Amino acid sequence: MLNTNGVPDKKQIFSRFPDKKYILKPKAITECYEEIPCNPCSTSCPFDAIYIGEDINTAPIVDFEKCTGCGICVYNCPGLAIFIVQELDNENARFKIPYELIPLPIKGETWSGVNRAGEVITKVLIEKVSLTEKQDKTALIQVLVPIEFINDFITIRSKL
Amino acid sequence: MNKKDVIICRCEDVTLEELHNLMKEGYTSFEEIKRILRVGMGSCQGNTCGQLIQRELANFTNTPINKVVTHKVRPLFAGVKLKSIVKALDDES
Amino acid sequence: MKKIDLVIIGGGPAGLSAAKMAAESGLSSLIIERNFKIGGQLVKQTHMFFGSEKQYAKTRGIDIAKILVNDVLKYSDMIEIMTGTTVVGLYKDKVVTLLKDEKYIKVKTKAIIIATGASEKVLAFEKNDLPGIYGAGAVQTLMNVHGVLPGHNVVMVGSGNIGLIVSYQLIQAGVNVLCVLEASSEIGGYKVHASKLKRLGVDIKTSHSIKKAIGKDYLERIIIGKLDDKWEFIEGSEEELIVDALCISVGLSPLSNLLSMIGTEMKYVSYLGGLVPLIDENYETSIENVFVAGDVCGVEEASSAIVEGYLTGLVVAKKLGYIHPNYDKLYLDFKAQLHNLRSGPFGEKLRRGLEEIMR
Ligand SMILES: Cc1cc2nc3c(=O)[nH]c(=O)nc-3n(C[C@H](O)[C@H](O)[C@H](O)COP(=O)(O)OP(=O)(O)OC[C@H]3O[C@@H](n4cnc5c(N)ncnc54)[C@H](O)[C@@H]3O)c2cc1C
Ligand code: SF4
Ligand code: SF4
Repeated sequence: MLNTNGVPDKKQIFSRFPDKKYILKPKAITECYEEIPCNPCSTSCPFDAIYIGEDINTAPIVDFEKCTGCGICVYNCPGLAIFIVQELDNENARFKIPYELIPLPIKGETWSGVNRAGEVITKVLIEKVSLTEKQDKTALIQVLVPIEFINDFITIRSKL
Repeated sequence: MNKKDVIICRCEDVTLEELHNLMKEGYTSFEEIKRILRVGMGSCQGNTCGQLIQRELANFTNTPINKVVTHKVRPLFAGVKLKSIVKALDDES
Repeated sequence: MKKIDLVIIGGGPAGLSAAKMAAESGLSSLIIERNFKIGGQLVKQTHMFFGSEKQYAKTRGIDIAKILVNDVLKYSDMIEIMTGTTVVGLYKDKVVTLLKDEKYIKVKTKAIIIATGASEKVLAFEKNDLPGIYGAGAVQTLMNVHGVLPGHNVVMVGSGNIGLIVSYQLIQAGVNVLCVLEASSEIGGYKVHASKLKRLGVDIKTSHSIKKAIGKDYLERIIIGKLDDKWEFIEGSEEELIVDALCISVGLSPLSNLLSMIGTEMKYVSYLGGLVPLIDENYETSIENVFVAGDVCGVEEASSAIVEGYLTGLVVAKKLGYIHPNYDKLYLDFKAQLHNLRSGPFGEKLRRGLEEIMR
């Protein structure tokens, strides 16, 4: 339970995933379920795809028609609560996740894939690592994840 | 719980046992306790122990915590050498 | 005796913003900061902040400090800053006494803004004074300001935002965080922070607390236990953990003792963290021309501390005859920002607390 151990339940998770037709292109998932005074995701999106509105306590809502999956909101979210997901084919999903630990992964490496409860669930391939000045120390990691973990994968842990 | 090992005021090294004993003797106001145990008179001036003592007093006297009066704070609330005060006076005249 | 129109006590986000807004209005001030550096709590916050863009959300705390410090330095002809200087006394006739090194200094002023922030609360448990037991803020100062690790295996007590964020920063520094203990049955801080920790493998144990610390010369082990709904330890639920540091993050209490010193009307409000002054809508206390801003009048966030600083700086300047050219517009904007920051469910306790101290 989110309130007792920090793990959102299936219903909460699915509520943030778009319809299948959208997810063939990369889309932003905002795992931010509470009403907290925060809105950088909304103000940083160049495509106006995240709605929060005047009251900054409103939880973010993504307009999947507008979202291009660019990933800008991912490193601008102070809660590290946003990631990008795309269904590539029948085998793989592509994620872009925020990452603030060292060592950073390197392109081509295989790392453990971890779920929301912190358990290792699979192996994932690091496709790209970016850390520009603009990202202000929050790296964006692009990873290839077996499709069956599309709703479970959340982050990476240690090189294999 | 071994109350001897629970430190309430770390500036003056006062334990929960000492505090409880004093309360049992009938000293149940912050000002009285401060004069006997020196709590709140050390270098942090009650910032650390104040809340703990307030809670102990609230429990012991069965009073809501917001009704427990804390100690009076007076200047100077850090150690100032007499030498420094005299020097300041000299500079003024 | 040194004379200056406005003295600002505390160089954190609240104090710095107050000085800036006063200067913009034409009023000079003196900022007194006991630390060797201005910036307050922000100088040790390496994480991105919440809030909205007006309060520099998504910027890291250390960088917000730089922005605020630069703002103040731009007015170096109007804002004097004394660091390494502690206010040791405050008197009703608006004399402030300071201690810098061993020098005792008196300052006579017309108005005072008290922005001293808050201090960390402690817990009473067995052997709570063993070396290795720290406040979460102390751990942040050690790690993020001085580059020193507090230990290798750490348990955090308290799952408020500070406990959650400092746990994350410990992990970033390569420290093993065994778990976070929370006495209440639910996590206290924002769940985005909790989820961030959980996915890194840190358990947040609700209804749990620290029972005792064990060690001869320094912390070696701790006993934790499960709590019932009256917050009493359930017998037989004890667990022993091997740690070399324990981090206490059970809330902050306003550093309001300077206000007690001059007999300001005060009230104990648990929602605000402890003893706080009664204030009017402009943060003026029961003593004329003595204002407060930031955590000292209710433990909150840097975002609101900044806005409260701006507001008091603006209002004090006007009271002393320096009216900002955009006074009305700014006043309404600051009020609206404060309202917006506090209007969500997390602001509820705060709103109730603030209602209690309105004069
Ligand atoms: C771990 C942690 C995470 C946080 N995360 C966030 C966040 O994400 N977003 C957010 O908005 N807020 C956050 N905050 C809260 C924020 O840091 C504080 O609310 C804010 O710093 C309060 O500002 P202030 O100016 O009132 O007090 P402070 O920043 O505490 O500054 C007070 C200053 O007064 C000085 N002072 C005190 N007494 C005296 C004296 N007698 N003489 C001279 N100087 C004195 C102190 O040295 C200090 O520099 C966080 C806090 C912590 C500890
Ligand atoms: S991924 Fe890009 S387009 Fe989509 S919401 Fe985030 S910032 Fe906007
Ligand atoms: S920036 Fe992140 S934490 Fe803030 S509202 Fe958006 S999704 Fe939530």
